Amino acid sequence: MLGRASLSAAPEIDGVRSAPQEITRRRAFWRAEWFLFLLFVAPNLLLFGIFSYWPMISNLYLSLVRWDMISPVKTFVGSANYAYLFNDNEFRMVLRNSAVFTVGAVGGSLLLGLATALLLNQKLRWRNGARAVLFAPTLLSGAAIGIVWVYIFDPRFGLLARLLGGIGISSPSWLTDPAWALPAVIIVYVWKNVGFSTVIYLAGLQAIPQDLYEAARVDGAGVLWRFRSVTLPMLSPITFFLVITALLNSFQAFDIIKVMTEGGPVDATNTLIYYVYEQGFVAYNAGRAAAAALVLFAIMFAITLFQLRYAEERVHYA
Amino acid sequence: MTRTVSRRKVLTGAAGVAAAATATVGNVKRSTAFAAPAVIKQAEPISVLYWGSYSAALGEAEQAIVQMFNESQQDVRVEYQFQGTYEETAQKLTAALQARQAPDVSLLSDVWWFRFYLANALAPLNDLIAANEVDTSDYIESLYNEGVRDGVSYWLPMARSTPLFYYNVDAFAEVGLEEAPEFWSQLVEVAPELVQKDGDTITRAAFSHPTGASYIAWLFQAVIWQFEGAYSNPDFTILINEPDGIEAGEFYRSSTADGWATLPADNEADFANGLTASVMASTGSLRGITENVGDKFEFRTAFLPKAEEFGCCTGGAGLAIMAGSPPEKQEAAFKFIEYVTSTEGTTFWSQNTGYMPVRKSAVESEEMQAFFEENPNFRTAVEQLPLTQPQDVARVFIPNGDQIIGAGLERIVINLEDPQVVFDEVANTLTEEAQPVIEAIAALG
Repeated sequence: MLGRASLSAAPEIDGVRSAPQEITRRRAFWRAEWFLFLLFVAPNLLLFGIFSYWPMISNLYLSLVRWDMISPVKTFVGSANYAYLFNDNEFRMVLRNSAVFTVGAVGGSLLLGLATALLLNQKLRWRNGARAVLFAPTLLSGAAIGIVWVYIFDPRFGLLARLLGGIGISSPSWLTDPAWALPAVIIVYVWKNVGFSTVIYLAGLQAIPQDLYEAARVDGAGVLWRFRSVTLPMLSPITFFLVITALLNSFQAFDIIKVMTEGGPVDATNTLIYYVYEQGFVAYNAGRAAAAALVLFAIMFAITLFQLRYAEERVHYA
Repeated sequence: MTRTVSRRKVLTGAAGVAAAATATVGNVKRSTAFAAPAVIKQAEPISVLYWGSYSAALGEAEQAIVQMFNESQQDVRVEYQFQGTYEETAQKLTAALQARQAPDVSLLSDVWWFRFYLANALAPLNDLIAANEVDTSDYIESLYNEGVRDGVSYWLPMARSTPLFYYNVDAFAEVGLEEAPEFWSQLVEVAPELVQKDGDTITRAAFSHPTGASYIAWLFQAVIWQFEGAYSNPDFTILINEPDGIEAGEFYRSSTADGWATLPADNEADFANGLTASVMASTGSLRGITENVGDKFEFRTAFLPKAEEFGCCTGGAGLAIMAGSPPEKQEAAFKFIEYVTSTEGTTFWSQNTGYMPVRKSAVESEEMQAFFEENPNFRTAVEQLPLTQPQDVARVFIPNGDQIIGAGLERIVINLEDPQVVFDEVANTLTEEAQPVIEAIAALG
C-alpha cells in the first residue's frame, strides 16, 4: 500500500526524471510489491505445502512402491499396486459400495432436507424448536451417533425392532446382513446430515421474493406448478452448493462406518475411504492404500470439474 | 542359560553383515557395560514409557500392575499409556517408529510382534535375561518359545490365552446337556432345541461366531486342527484349501446355514446377555464375561469340543522392548517385564483377568491353586494348556494373515459361499502375501 502511494505521488513532485532512474524505481516498486505479496501468501502457502501438497506428492510416490510402513526398505513396483486394485474383486465391490452410498447419502439428505425445509417454512407451532432438533445431529460426533444407532438397529432388543414389531414387521438383521448393512449406514448418515441441508434450504426458501409467487398465482399456477416453476429454479444455486459439499463429504464418510460395521459384514459397507484406511492401517500395504487414495482423489477431482463445467451452467442465480 | 547366550554370540558373528543387526547388538553390549552403574548413580528414577492395549476390567488390571511395579522399587518409573486394541497399538507403534517417538516397551499381540521383529525394531533380550538372572525355564515352555527366534528371545509372554468353550449351564440343562459337549456333533444334535425365535429373528442362538475383526480366524485355527487340517506348514506352504480344511469350512458354513449359529456384532456380549447359549472365546475374556453375566444365569468354561480330534491354539499378547530405546531405558524396561512376568506379577494378572499364568511356579503356587478351587472356570485354561499348540505361521507371521482368513470365514459363515471357492482364493492371497516374509526371513539369515 505504502509503495503504491509514494510511487503515484512521485512524478508530480519530481517533475522530470531520467529513464534509468525510473526503471530502478519501478524495479524497487515491484520488488516491494512481491515482497508484500509473499508476506501475505507465504504462511498459507507454507501450511498448504506441508499439509496438502507434500503429502499428495509423497502419496503418489508411495503408490508406486511396496512398503509395510515398518520395514526400512521400500521396493519400487511401478504400476503393480494399481494393477492389483483393478483386478481385485474386493476393490470392485468397494467402488460399487461407494457409488451406492454416495447416491443414497446425497440424494437422501437433499430430498429429505428440501422436504423438511418446505415443511418448516410453513407457519407452524413449535417451528423453531423443530428446526433446532433437526439440526442437532449435524453437530454431534459421528462416532457417538454410530454407537447409539448400533443399539437402535439391533434386531432383538433395538428401538427400531420394537417400532417395526408394532406394525407387524420383523426387523432385518441390519448390521449383520450384507443386504441391509449399507442401507442402514446410509440411513444413519442421512439422519446425521439432513439438518444441514434443511437449514441451508430454509435460508434459500426465505430469500425467494414473495412477488414471484404472487405473479405466478395471478397467472393461475397451482401449488405444484409454483413449486416447479418458482421454488425449484430459485433454489438451484443452493442445490448446486449442497450437491457439491454433500458429494465431497459423503465420499469421506468414515466415522460412522468404522464404528458401526468396520466395513463389514463381508465388505458390504466397505467404501473407498474405508478401504484406504483398511489397506493402510489394518493390512499395512502403504502402496495399495496410496493407490486407492489416488483413485479416490481422481474421482473427486473429476466430479468437481464436471460440476463446474456443466452443472453450473444450469444454475439460476437471481 | 549360558548355552543360549553363547549360541546367540555365534549368531551375532554370522549376522555381522547386516548393519541393523549389528547396531542393535552394539546397543545391548554397551548397555550391560554402562547402564548398571548409571542406575545406581542416578537419584532420579529412569522413566520408561509403556504402551498397553487393554480396556475395561483388563485395563484396570493393567494399570494396577504398572502401579504395583512403580511402588515396588525406586529405580524405574513406568509411565503407562493406553493405545487401543492390539491392532491400534501396532498401528501407533508403526507410526511412532517412523517418527522416532516409540515407547521403550510395548504390548504386542501374537499376530504383530513378528512384523516388528522382521523390521529389526525389537531388542534381543538374552543379555538382559542373563544379566537379571531370570529363570526362563520357569516360564511355561511353549509360551516362552513362541517369542524365541534362532535361540534369541524377543517377546516374553504376558497376557497369554487359549480359546475356551463358554456355555450357559441353564440353557444347556433345558435340552438335557448336563456337561459341555465333548464333540461338536453333540452340540449340533441339540442345537435346534437351544435356538429360540421370535418370527424370523433368532432371539437365542445355540452358538455365536465373532467377526473377522474380533479374530474368528484365531478360533477357526483350533477348529481346522480338530478336522485334522491346518492353515499352513511352518515353511509357509498354505494348506487351508486342502480337503480337511474344506471340511472344517463346511462345518462353519452349516452352523449358520442350518440356523443354529449366528455372527453378531459382539458375540461375547451376546453370550453374557443370554442371546446365545455358547461361544468360543479367549481366556482373557473370562473376567469380563463373569462380571457381565453376574447373577443372570450360571455359565461354565470347558475344553473346546472335538471334531475328529482335539485341537486348540494359544494366543494373546506378550511384551517386547524397542531396539531403538537407549540402553539404560532397555535395562529399566526389562525390570518392568521381569516384574510383570514374575511369579507374583503373573499370578496377580491371571487372577484379575483370566489370562493364564505364564510361569510354572505360579500355576503350582498355593495361592493360585486356592484361587482355582474357588473359581473353577479359571482353571480350565491351565488344564487345557498342555494340549495346545502354537498357531500356524499363515495367521501369525504372514502380514494381515489373520484378517485375510477372517474375511474368508465371514464370506462362508455370512454369505454361505462355497468353502472350496473361498479357501482357494484365500490360499492364493496368503501365498502372495507370504513372499515378502519369506524373503525377509532369508535376509535375516
